[in-house]
Amino acid sequence: MPIFDQGYQHWSGSLSGHAWRWFAITRHGMRVGVRAGKAGRSLRIFLLISWLPALGLAGVLCLWGLLERNSEWAKFLGPMLEFLGPAVVADPTHYRVDVWTLCYHYFLRTELTLSMILVLLVGPNLISQDLRYNALPLYFSRPLRRIDYFAGKLGVIVGFLGMVIIVPSLIAYALGLLFSLDITILRDTLHLLIASVMYGLVIAVSAGLLMLALSTMSRNSRYISLLWLAVWVGSGMVSHVLEQTNVQQQQMRQAWRASQGMPAEEFFSEQLEAAKSNWRPLVSYTANLSRIGQELLGTDAVWLRLSELQTGPQRGLFLLQLMGPQYPWYWSAAVVTGLLVFSACILNFRIKSLDRLK
Amino acid sequence: MQMLIQFENVIKTYGAVTALDNLSVTIPTGAVGLLGPNGSGKTTMIRTLLGLIPVDKGSGTVLGMDFRRRQLDIRRVVGFAPEDECLFPHVVGIEFVAYAGELVGMSRKDAMQRAHEVLDYVGLGEARYRIVESYSTGMKQRLKLASAIVHDPQLLILDEPTNGMDPAGRVEILELSRDLAHNKGMSLLFSSHLLPDVEAVCEYVVVLGNGKLLAEGKIQELKSVHDQCFEVRLKADMAPFAQRLTEIGWSAEMQDDVLRVRIPEGQSPQTLWQVAADEQQQIRYLRPQRSTLEEVFLKAVE
Repeated sequence: MPIFDQGYQHWSGSLSGHAWRWFAITRHGMRVGVRAGKAGRSLRIFLLISWLPALGLAGVLCLWGLLERNSEWAKFLGPMLEFLGPAVVADPTHYRVDVWTLCYHYFLRTELTLSMILVLLVGPNLISQDLRYNALPLYFSRPLRRIDYFAGKLGVIVGFLGMVIIVPSLIAYALGLLFSLDITILRDTLHLLIASVMYGLVIAVSAGLLMLALSTMSRNSRYISLLWLAVWVGSGMVSHVLEQTNVQQQQMRQAWRASQGMPAEEFFSEQLEAAKSNWRPLVSYTANLSRIGQELLGTDAVWLRLSELQTGPQRGLFLLQLMGPQYPWYWSAAVVTGLLVFSACILNFRIKSLDRLK
Repeated sequence: MQMLIQFENVIKTYGAVTALDNLSVTIPTGAVGLLGPNGSGKTTMIRTLLGLIPVDKGSGTVLGMDFRRRQLDIRRVVGFAPEDECLFPHVVGIEFVAYAGELVGMSRKDAMQRAHEVLDYVGLGEARYRIVESYSTGMKQRLKLASAIVHDPQLLILDEPTNGMDPAGRVEILELSRDLAHNKGMSLLFSSHLLPDVEAVCEYVVVLGNGKLLAEGKIQELKSVHDQCFEVRLKADMAPFAQRLTEIGWSAEMQDDVLRVRIPEGQSPQTLWQVAADEQQQIRYLRPQRSTLEEVFLKAVE
């Protein structure tokens, strides 16, 4: 008679509720993504690279805090900000919101590009490998609904993108607050914090859902990567070509007007007006996300305020060079929403319950 | 007595194909074999009772829970090992089983601890840190079994668990299934078209064909005794003995090392002893013939 039976033992623990079941999939997906072989190593290295812009953001916000306090440590920052106008350097507290907004704008613009690469590294395997290894019966024979499965997989992408967009934004904000030692920063810039978190979520959910939809299209993740590149780089290239064609036409028109001796201010204001109906960036996936970010952060208003520091024709040129697309932001919101709906439809169509599986 | 599964007039169609045809069946707890030829509706029945597919008509319960309304509750107390080869990719064995536990609702700590236990139980303890894609077919079947029992389910459903396995692996799976059902108090629904496998593990059987219930009952009861048929083994050559029985008007048929004898109505098996004495033969084995499960199955699907 055995003293201790090493055979099957009954388990008397308790099972958790259903609400967070998707989180098990997210946690597992992130663990596997970071750990798995060469791909995992590439991902870890890329995550570190993606945090570098956050160091820049945190550094500038901290230095601006020191500049507001007239610290000797931040004196060297003055000459670097001359392009914004001497008034900005002379009264940094007055331009606090503008500078913080632009810092977040450039940080998020950089992270948008890095996010696309991160999604390329993380996303293609998410569903395609489950299809390849026939894992869906293992998921759906457990107390999971399709929506839990999708939410769990989406959570993997949202989790990684959150790590490089949302978390650094929060940390940089906290550091900027600490270095300025001025509680009024909360009043002035809290909207930036909320906007950067919201923008991070827009990027993560939109790119995540789109990647999941693409990931259902093939059992070979290389093809999914190519599809993603087509959506991201391909759409960007088409948009760029369309934009360049338009720019060439504008340059020819400007050259003709200059030869006629017409004033440059009039041309710049015409260009700014024309930019409000320039639809070409809509073709680019990232340009649409970027336009939504502009609106959330309020970047356009900041450029307009700073342009008032410029004089004469410089003002128009300043705005034309630094302001992004000016078409209504809700056009981009509609494009991104359309892509979300399209992605959800593909997911719904491609991942059925076991009714349709072999 | 709580019933394991109850189906009432369940109809499930896939387009023009009727997978379950007005199926009504009541299955008691214990080790139950689900028999039927390919395409008989076994897998559809399993998917229906797990609430994975909607039925066109009918109702039913699994462990007292309505399979149309409480699918998630049912799947919490049921462990299922699908027929096809299926894996969570890019993980080692221990992660695979722990993840299966987490998906049911176990905490990470409990799932890991339990994964170690069940992997030891199914004999994969040595391979727990190997990537699952490198497992052999037999190991993958045992891995599926481990992930199905990680949360200690009340009902374990194994769909063709010995498919594609070598004889040794098949025996291991059958022994594990039998142990779980007979010694650990876990109800078992064992779907297979391999009759010896079902007979080795189960005491109750349900036979399906074309989505209909063809037969059900305890295997011992289905394998009825034939009063007028006997199996006989002799010490020496059986051919002269068979010849002698034929001469007196009995039917005697050699099958391997057994002589199957059918006694005409009104005659007694005592005559066998008399004939043996006359032929100077020694009867070593004599017992009434029982139907094999194969005969029961073939009769049911005819």
